[in-house]
Amino acid sequence: MNISAANPVAAEASHLVEGIARVVEVDGTLAWLVPEQTGGCGSCASSGACGAKGIGTIESRLEMRRFSMINRSGMVVGERVVVGIAQNALVKASLTVYVLPLAIAFAAGLSAQALYGSDFVTMISMAAGLVLGFVGTWLGSRHISARGAMTPVFVRRAGPAETCRID
Amino acid sequence: MEYVLIAVSAALVNNVILARFLGLCSFMGVTTRIDTAVGMGAATTFCITVSAMIDWAVEHYLLEPYGLGYLRTVTFILVIAASVQFTEAVVRKISPSLFQMLGIYLPLITTNCAVLGVCLLLVEGKMSFIGSTVFALASSIGYSLVMVLFAGLRERLVLAEVPRLFAGPPIGFITASLLALSFMGFSGMSAH
Repeated sequence: MNISAANPVAAEASHLVEGIARVVEVDGTLAWLVPEQTGGCGSCASSGACGAKGIGTIESRLEMRRFSMINRSGMVVGERVVVGIAQNALVKASLTVYVLPLAIAFAAGLSAQALYGSDFVTMISMAAGLVLGFVGTWLGSRHISARGAMTPVFVRRAGPAETCRID
Repeated sequence: MEYVLIAVSAALVNNVILARFLGLCSFMGVTTRIDTAVGMGAATTFCITVSAMIDWAVEHYLLEPYGLGYLRTVTFILVIAASVQFTEAVVRKISPSLFQMLGIYLPLITTNCAVLGVCLLLVEGKMSFIGSTVFALASSIGYSLVMVLFAGLRERLVLAEVPRLFAGPPIGFITASLLALSFMGFSGMSAH
């Protein structure tokens, strides 16, 4: 039997970075989910004891990361599901958000240093380059989002004892 | 050439993690997978560089002229926290979808001692603005490099047969020490 034809999600699963999210609202065909707290250290099971959660409460931070999915799988409120995004999406996102502004800022700063040799002018140029870089990030993220690369997909329902993969 | 020397020295010879032993919490915590290591490394690189730029200005236009050097550590911590919050707000505003993916790493950076360590080292170095920024960028690239290298090793370690008592963090620390030994090979490459 052709696995990819029978279950395209399973066939794609090996190329996905998986995470666990909880359904918090179902609105018609749309389901709203909140990712489970992973603490960034991949140890969601011990997140309650993790002291590195930043400023603000865990709930407020998770609420900021709320996302929606088309509810094709009949998800209900309170259910835990495994969602996935493309494996290379995180790298692309990092390059767009962090590397692009820095690269433009450095190009501006080095040019200013070579032309004027003044710390003050270099500083202003790098700040302007950073702003310009963020404009580039905005355009880049629109392009990536339009292609659907950042859209999470439903993989399966999470088991009761299942936590985020830390392998 | 001067900037190249600064960069090589900061990234390889005096690596933030393996030579200065800063940022070890995230080094052990976020390196279970390469993709998370890349995300954390990129976020840290950005925040270290931006914080260093602001800290250089604060040091040269505020702390040094007014003899407020004793407030340096507190001021730098405030600057780092503010720049992380600013970055988070900007990323959330310009790209909510990217923020959903990368936002988790930002709060961890506020408490990452590597950021403060690099900013304090800049003051000791007494470099120009561009020199300081190159130093900060190279230090953070060195940090990211080691994170990704170590994540790759740990992904392989999962498949290796390890004695039960050494499984998990112990074998991770042993691997990290071997990695640090290998980085010692870079000493002598730089004039700094």
